[in-house]
Amino acid sequence: MNFEISKRGNPLFVRIHPFLAEMIKSVAEDPWEEYPEGSARLLPPPGTDEELLTDWSDHVQPDLRRRFDDDRSQVAQDIGTMKPGRGKLPVCSLEIPIDHVDAWLTTLNALRLAIVTEHGFGEEELAHKTSPDLSTLHGIALLKLNFFAFLQECLIQGLESRESESGDQDSD
Amino acid sequence: MMAKPDLLELPETELSEALDLPWIVVVHNDPVNLMSYVSMVFRRVFGWSRERSEQHMMEVHTKGRSVVWSGALEKAELYVQQLHAFLLLATLEKTSH
Repeated sequence: MNFEISKRGNPLFVRIHPFLAEMIKSVAEDPWEEYPEGSARLLPPPGTDEELLTDWSDHVQPDLRRRFDDDRSQVAQDIGTMKPGRGKLPVCSLEIPIDHVDAWLTTLNALRLAIVTEHGFGEEELAHKTSPDLSTLHGIALLKLNFFAFLQECLIQGLESRESESGDQDSD
Repeated sequence: MMAKPDLLELPETELSEALDLPWIVVVHNDPVNLMSYVSMVFRRVFGWSRERSEQHMMEVHTKGRSVVWSGALEKAELYVQQLHAFLLLATLEKTSH
């Protein structure tokens, strides 16, 4: 699989191996269903103030949950456009519209956080100091986690290339 | 007849002063979030330059936390909500003085 910027200025993944295409399809999984324990990390408390905690759980967290679900729906739609190629090995390509990149980044981040919490990965494993044991679910989860991080890095690179084209808009 | 002292006056003043204290928005370290992602979120939420965003991102990474904003509660809540929307670990804290 290679990462490019399309002629339309969108992030584009090409020559996606069928195995990786299946992993990409899993980005649209609902973390609340797939990782019931890990998904607790997705809506953290804002502090310790009692009044604030009540307000947060009544108003802010339901709103955030809706936004995460909307982002995931957007991602699922984009995945539906993944084009299978022809030939011996049916590799795919996936172009992600630049204005969908935020939805992808949030969805990927939510999944990664849920996976880490669910599987209890330690800093050593996250820092690539150990090789994943791919005969276990734990090891496969680590593989997924690293692949999703790679997708995030590519998408951030895509956003940055767009920013540098349109000039630095920083307002420091 | 002497007027009774208004015993409620002092606590009310203290409460008023407490409400005036600024709140701070703190971002905590999380080994999952990519450094490039955290820096991008700071640029997006606070409109900071790349350099300033990276300074705060490195502070989170090396010291475990970084104070990214201080001021009135209402705005601080809004910032924490925005940071949570990007899944950063952010909290609101009241300054002690």
